[in-house]
Amino acid sequence: MTGRHSGRLTITAVLVVLALAVSPAAITPPKISFTDTRLSNGLRLIVAEDHIAPVFSIAVVYNVGSRDERKGRTGFAHLFEHMMFKGSENVGPGEHFYTIFSNGGTMNGTTNKERTLYFETMPANQLEAGMFLEADRMRSLAIVKDNLDNQRNAVQEERRQGLDNQPYGRTNEAIDELAFDNPAYKHSVIGSMDDLTAASTQDVASFFQTYYAPNNAIIAVTGDVTTAGVRALARKYFESIPAQPAPPAVDITQPPQESERRLSLPDALARLPRLDVSYRIPSDLSPDGDAVDMLTLVLSNGRSSRFYESLVRQKQLAVNVGGFAPDSRGPRLLRIIATPTPGKPVEDLEAALDVEVERIKSSPIAAWEIDKARNTLRRQMVANLGSSLSRAVQLAENALMFNDPGRINTAYERLAKVTAADLQRVAKQYLARENRTVVVTRPAPPASKGGL
Amino acid sequence: MSARRIIMWCTAASLALAATAGLIAQDQPSPTQGVVKKGKVPVSSEILKVKLPKAAEADLPNGVHLMVLEDHRLPQVSFQIFVPGAGGYDDPADAPGLASFVAALMREGTASQSSEQISQQLEVMAASLNVIAGASSLEATIAGSCLSDQFDRLIDMTADVLLHPTFPQEELERYKQRTRAGLTQQRANPGFLAAEMFNRGIYGAHPAARLSPTVAALDKTTRDQLTAFHKAHYAPDHAGIAVAGDISMAQVRKLIDAKLAGWTRTGVAAVTASEPAALTGSKIFFIARPNSVQTNLIVGTQAIARTHPDYDVLQVMNKVIGGGPTGRLFIHLREEKGYTYGASSALSAPMYRGDWSASTSVRSEVTEPALRDLLAEVAALRDQPVSDTELIDAKRSMIASFALSLESPAQLLNYYVTRWRYQLAADYWDKYPDRVSAVTAGQIQAAARTYLAANRMQIVAVGDPARVADTLRKLGEVETYDADGKPVLSSKF
Repeated sequence: MTGRHSGRLTITAVLVVLALAVSPAAITPPKISFTDTRLSNGLRLIVAEDHIAPVFSIAVVYNVGSRDERKGRTGFAHLFEHMMFKGSENVGPGEHFYTIFSNGGTMNGTTNKERTLYFETMPANQLEAGMFLEADRMRSLAIVKDNLDNQRNAVQEERRQGLDNQPYGRTNEAIDELAFDNPAYKHSVIGSMDDLTAASTQDVASFFQTYYAPNNAIIAVTGDVTTAGVRALARKYFESIPAQPAPPAVDITQPPQESERRLSLPDALARLPRLDVSYRIPSDLSPDGDAVDMLTLVLSNGRSSRFYESLVRQKQLAVNVGGFAPDSRGPRLLRIIATPTPGKPVEDLEAALDVEVERIKSSPIAAWEIDKARNTLRRQMVANLGSSLSRAVQLAENALMFNDPGRINTAYERLAKVTAADLQRVAKQYLARENRTVVVTRPAPPASKGGL
Repeated sequence: MSARRIIMWCTAASLALAATAGLIAQDQPSPTQGVVKKGKVPVSSEILKVKLPKAAEADLPNGVHLMVLEDHRLPQVSFQIFVPGAGGYDDPADAPGLASFVAALMREGTASQSSEQISQQLEVMAASLNVIAGASSLEATIAGSCLSDQFDRLIDMTADVLLHPTFPQEELERYKQRTRAGLTQQRANPGFLAAEMFNRGIYGAHPAARLSPTVAALDKTTRDQLTAFHKAHYAPDHAGIAVAGDISMAQVRKLIDAKLAGWTRTGVAAVTASEPAALTGSKIFFIARPNSVQTNLIVGTQAIARTHPDYDVLQVMNKVIGGGPTGRLFIHLREEKGYTYGASSALSAPMYRGDWSASTSVRSEVTEPALRDLLAEVAALRDQPVSDTELIDAKRSMIASFALSLESPAQLLNYYVTRWRYQLAADYWDKYPDRVSAVTAGQIQAAARTYLAANRMQIVAVGDPARVADTLRKLGEVETYDADGKPVLSSKF
């Protein structure tokens, strides 16, 4: 095996236009070559062949997430994801993950508001096994009440472990519930305990029929494979899975927010208060997407960011502060999280944060701040090309979100075009008081004291 | 399988007291079958043979052992500098955490640059540079990464941070304020509380008992202490430097000669680690955390050092019981019983006798059956040989997964770092597949009897006193603590 794997990534040398960059990042990343086709049943197949290491990865993205859940069934897309490991016509319960791990591979599944993703990375000689496993469950999921009950328990423990038994566990959920008016985006991915309890095998069957159809899925295969070999296996195992009517489109609209929303949230497990400020920003599909991402970095990324320098270092009102914006094709939030310095009022921290938000709208953004944001995103991009799994996931998710898997190759050019003026424009447009939700989580005295 | 990755840290378990306990089925739904193998998946029975690329290695005049794994697939470089003697293992007894404070503050100002200048430069370069010393680790680690055209500058900054930190007083005060809050916050995390108590139970007075600095030690730390510790402990005499990525040994040598020339031998002795006192019995520790809706459980005991001849046997044993989703713990506690989101085990084998542990977190009402199952799984390793199928699957998993590491230069280089750190044989990794293949069910059972004896198991539970305390008392005498780690009388609750 070893002789074949000494190649470099396929590199198409493309000169990146570094119009404004005085910056050190003169390096251009390798470009990923791929094919993008559809089988006759509508399954989109993306293959990026390389021979960097003797492994391959498969990413299967289904265009279904928690935003597709109906009322009374929050958490169902993720619960369903668990059922995808409980067997199909030719694969026993648990045999999927057992087979992959015991042959040296790794795998998992993950659900968010937008999509459900399944993936595996395996040694190169197990490609047929990987394709067979993904196809069998797309074709013929086993829907068994006992297995649903078992995974319902596991998911309810997942909720307890991740949210209900953790400090600030409820905070994220509370923010989405308050900030969004669109019912598809208002609830958490993990869902409510009651809704999880209510889920039935009929729900599983109809969800499978509607959403787990080949024409609602994208499969990306990367790594030490041949494109022809992957296509042959895709035809062999996937092409006879029948297409289904397209699932109902998700309504992603919501009326504009008219005034600031606030909540004080008691938390019996927290020891310190926490401030969360969340601004509504446009979907990733908006032309402002790159500018918003760079703005988020200038405000909140690292020790030299506006927020850290001002709130933590200079004013010492916070012990930490961070910002991020989860991806979304619909309503989206720029989230800011800060922990007040013990003894300092949350109100002072919030006021100081407001000062920085106003300052970025009205006073110049330095050239180094733009360089930093751009270089940070470029560095992440290069790092993300390192594993076949990361390449597969990016290709499949870019196909889903933007209908453009090739976006993996264009970030440098896009980022080079974003200017300081763009950042100020989006800051003025979106970082408005009436466009935000403020949640303060406060330690609450224990609700109960039991006897030992 | 989850909204998040299946994450299992942990360490942990089985008890003398519980050895006789069978499974308790009370009021629980009937278990489902965890894994059913239909055997129709077209797997290749061949294990892909892979050859690890060799790292270039060299010994430098100042004592540093240099390892470079050249890999030009992507335009990036990562490096680590390991400084034995600069970790928390060497903290003075009255200053737990001092090494970690020194490490964190080295970046906060040098003879020529302020904290802000350092941060800004690094962040504009999109480079990372961090100094870390664990609360009980034998070494400090300086780690960095960048795009390859920034590597010269990054090594300049690294040399500055390593050789000329000034520990400005005002940065120390800022650091204390931030860190104090962090130390407070981590006590709200049940996983932290469980791990902290487990380490105390396993290691007693040994430095490995420390998982985190204390607020008291933080508060009384002075700039003079930081300066003195840095001067005494950041010596190159026994250090290692590992570099992976878009660079050659020759280029690295040239850079180090030019920029780290000031890092000279101090004549400091090599670090030696002492063994923790042997465990003399099994104990149950309970941390009362009111309002918990789950109980975090860790069960475990002392095991072996990294260089012990039983290392490979214990790794295979660990794989069978709890090394990931194919382990018995995950399959039985989650896939069959639905008690938990995850259950796993881990072997920690450092320079001294480390530990083996199994852990899970379960809803409060199934604490008793889950803990009994956990202990029963440990007992099963002692009482019955591992089946042929499980053994073959576990070994194949460990050997075949080697191929995946070829994707990551940093991970590959780590094999060479491990070999250097523990002074393993030159062909250690070449022979790894053969050694793992040779492990037998008899060896695993013998190792389980030797290392996982019921009368040396430590049990840690973190949960709601109202719902869990009585359950634990059924297993034996319980030492109870509050979430600040202070002992409390049971009657207080």
